[in-house]
Amino acid sequence: MTAVDDVSFSMVADAPEVLTIIGESGSGKSTLARMILGIHAPSSGRIVFEGEEVSARVARDRHAFMAKVQPIFQNPFESFNPLKKLDRYLFMTAERFGRAGRGNVERVCDEALGAVGLSLAEVRGRFPHELSGGQLQRAAIARALVSRPRLIVADEPVSMVDASLRMSIVNLFSRLKREFGLTIIYITHDLATAYHISDRLIIMRRGQIVETGEARGVLSAPKHPYSQMLKDAVLTPDSAGIFRSSVQSRL
Amino acid sequence: MGAILKDLLKYNIEFRVGSMLIAIVLVMSALSFVSPYPPSDTFVVAPDAPPSAAHWFGTTSRGQDVFWQLTFAIRNTLAFGVLVAMLSRVLSLSIGLLAGYKGGWIDRILMSVNDTFIVIPLFPILILFYFVLRDSMSTLLLAVIMACLGWAYDARLIRSVAMSLKAREFTQVSIYSGMTTREILVREHLPYVMPIVFSTTMNNMNWSIGLEVTLAVLGFMDINSPTIGGMLYWANQHTAVVAGIWWWIAFPIALVVAAFVGLFLLAVSMNEYIDPRSRLARMGGGAR
Amino acid sequence: MSAAPILQVRNLRAAFRTHHFGVRRDVPAVDDISFDVRANEIYGLAGESSSGKTTLIKTIAGVIKPPLELVGGSARFAFLPDCESLAQASPAAVAAIRWSKLAYIMQGSMNVLNPVRRIGKTFEDFALRHIGSAGDFQQRVEAHLQRVRLEPSVLRSYPHELSGGMRQRVTIALATICAPDFIIADEPTTALDVIVQKDVLAMMRDIQGAMGASILFVTHDMGVHAALTDRLGIMYAGRLVEEAPTDVIFRGALHPYTRHLIASLPRIGDRSERKSLTGVPPNLANAPPGCRFHPRCPLAVDICRVQAPAMTELATQHRVACHVVTGEAA
Repeated sequence: MTAVDDVSFSMVADAPEVLTIIGESGSGKSTLARMILGIHAPSSGRIVFEGEEVSARVARDRHAFMAKVQPIFQNPFESFNPLKKLDRYLFMTAERFGRAGRGNVERVCDEALGAVGLSLAEVRGRFPHELSGGQLQRAAIARALVSRPRLIVADEPVSMVDASLRMSIVNLFSRLKREFGLTIIYITHDLATAYHISDRLIIMRRGQIVETGEARGVLSAPKHPYSQMLKDAVLTPDSAGIFRSSVQSRL
Repeated sequence: MGAILKDLLKYNIEFRVGSMLIAIVLVMSALSFVSPYPPSDTFVVAPDAPPSAAHWFGTTSRGQDVFWQLTFAIRNTLAFGVLVAMLSRVLSLSIGLLAGYKGGWIDRILMSVNDTFIVIPLFPILILFYFVLRDSMSTLLLAVIMACLGWAYDARLIRSVAMSLKAREFTQVSIYSGMTTREILVREHLPYVMPIVFSTTMNNMNWSIGLEVTLAVLGFMDINSPTIGGMLYWANQHTAVVAGIWWWIAFPIALVVAAFVGLFLLAVSMNEYIDPRSRLARMGGGAR
Repeated sequence: MSAAPILQVRNLRAAFRTHHFGVRRDVPAVDDISFDVRANEIYGLAGESSSGKTTLIKTIAGVIKPPLELVGGSARFAFLPDCESLAQASPAAVAAIRWSKLAYIMQGSMNVLNPVRRIGKTFEDFALRHIGSAGDFQQRVEAHLQRVRLEPSVLRSYPHELSGGMRQRVTIALATICAPDFIIADEPTTALDVIVQKDVLAMMRDIQGAMGASILFVTHDMGVHAALTDRLGIMYAGRLVEEAPTDVIFRGALHPYTRHLIASLPRIGDRSERKSLTGVPPNLANAPPGCRFHPRCPLAVDICRVQAPAMTELATQHRVACHVVTGEAA
């Protein structure tokens, strides 16, 4: 089975950007994310990070690679073990990735939490169920920031966050890009949030890239028939009554 | 720990009954240390006496006091069961968690070993061991052999849970937080497997005690160290049932059944307490 | 538009009551909710996580298992006029109306379709009892499948041989084959891709229009509500806070929560900064007193902190539960 087929793109080190990969289920976007994270090795072709192939680098020193490339996952309620206190993951990341001496762990974590609009005082000693989905996703982002990564791979990070809080998380990504010079790969099926934050955009279908380019341009006037179909299918508050009228016209 | 015990005693009837039964069994085994008669001496009391004030559970045809004999027997049998359960739990936990988490060739190797143990016919193997080892066959050695034969099913069970845990996002987050494999298995995954460990411990003890009794009754055991099975063996040898010495058979069986039921009730109630869902419900996270 | 309601919900209350080793919890997940669903309309229920919308439809459908308990109020269907709620109806009465009067469409189609049974067999299990003779049953099923734009050949397939969209069509066909009066749809398209979703929604609208059924449609996706539903109820923290025809909600919502919810939705072609609500949704086990939205509400005044606002009809068909909005209108 080919999940991702002949996909090529590159991102420049000194120009932080949000690159969005859009696709529906089965488009191969998550497989691509896992390959970039070094969880799976590509069967052919190369993924190069900082001049070295990812699979070779992971084999050589996984730990150092993880410090630079961090993931954010879909379900905030699953990002932390429900039976464990959540600060443990932040402290652990700070200790293990050597950014901080023993005494600095708490300060580093507090800073990272501050960057996402939380504080250590709000998180310390609490279990995941004591926080809301939005707060948990912020905490997950803060944890990823603790190791001072260069690249963040966010796989559907807001699809399970409530609509009223979703945009605040999405906006957070643009802010982190600006303030920390982070490069972010934002994987989603949601064109509207992609429109808001991405600089560049890749639309995938069945493992292949169908359209790519500057985000606003592509989404405002998609060229590929599939991209057009995708855009047309997005239901927004402005789609009021599209099905109602279709019925009435037939009656 | 004290608070947990208090909660359990207060709110759970299974736990109350179970701990009462196990307490009886434990008191019995503890009494062996103050027994007036050494366990292997015979004809220290008048044989074949029915239960009386002097001999609560009567005496055997070999001139032993059933009550005091039983204290040794239950102690050895219980120790045997606990030892087998402990050893095999260590094996099934480490192999199950590791195979499920690591996957790939590690999983394939461990599971092919595992399947081999599952299909080995148990009883003939044990008898084979007895005939090969004969005189050097001790209860301790038998416990080790049984532990090696008794982990495989539960390892598979644990592996399947470990596989589903591996697929959960928090496992990936743990990896990217820099945790080692050992930390992930012990700190993140173990709590989810504990309910299985508890219930299988109980199953495993029942299984090993049952087999020990069976082997001893058939004489494939070191029959001189007193166990429940050993007592039944001697009772059979002296045709206790035909001779009407019912107390020689009834009391050992009653005690071992009390141990079985007690263990079962404890496992059930502890399970409910440490089950992740029940834990979350108590912490207030279950309503989501 | 003044058709008699097919479902009347009055002051409905339901709570999760758990008791684990001395830790007692009482979570009021549905708190004093009243609304009507009329004949031949799609009534939407919108709400975010922990708004209680799933609990509400479980209560209405009578699927009440511990720890969930019905605390009070009624949910009366027109086809069971003597029954306060399905939870109190006799199993025989419920079995008689299930699928023939009342049907369900759930999110996971795989939970409805037996994986080792061909689709045709599943149709027989569901509907043969209600439709009678086996002779015209086959014809009727095939005619019905045509309505949801499926080939008769799917009857010979196993569920896993179909795509997600086709499976969801099958479950919709199953739910509608007995021409029920009322359909409860719980996030039926959430698991589907957007292109498929649009298709399935259009089909649901068609089939509803053709059969004249009512649908209680629950989803958190406001875009879906905008496109599909006739009237919309907005839930927050276990209570209904606003109800109006869908167009009115999107053009002129009155409740501050609804307004924020709609304003926070991103749109393609509009890159202006979206404001999210501050604060977090309340934990229902320890809900704030008064109006449950007051800690996050930009308009909150003193009375909001102590007294829960009642649903008040401010315009025809437009009800709102907010002290400030009602106060200004008065």
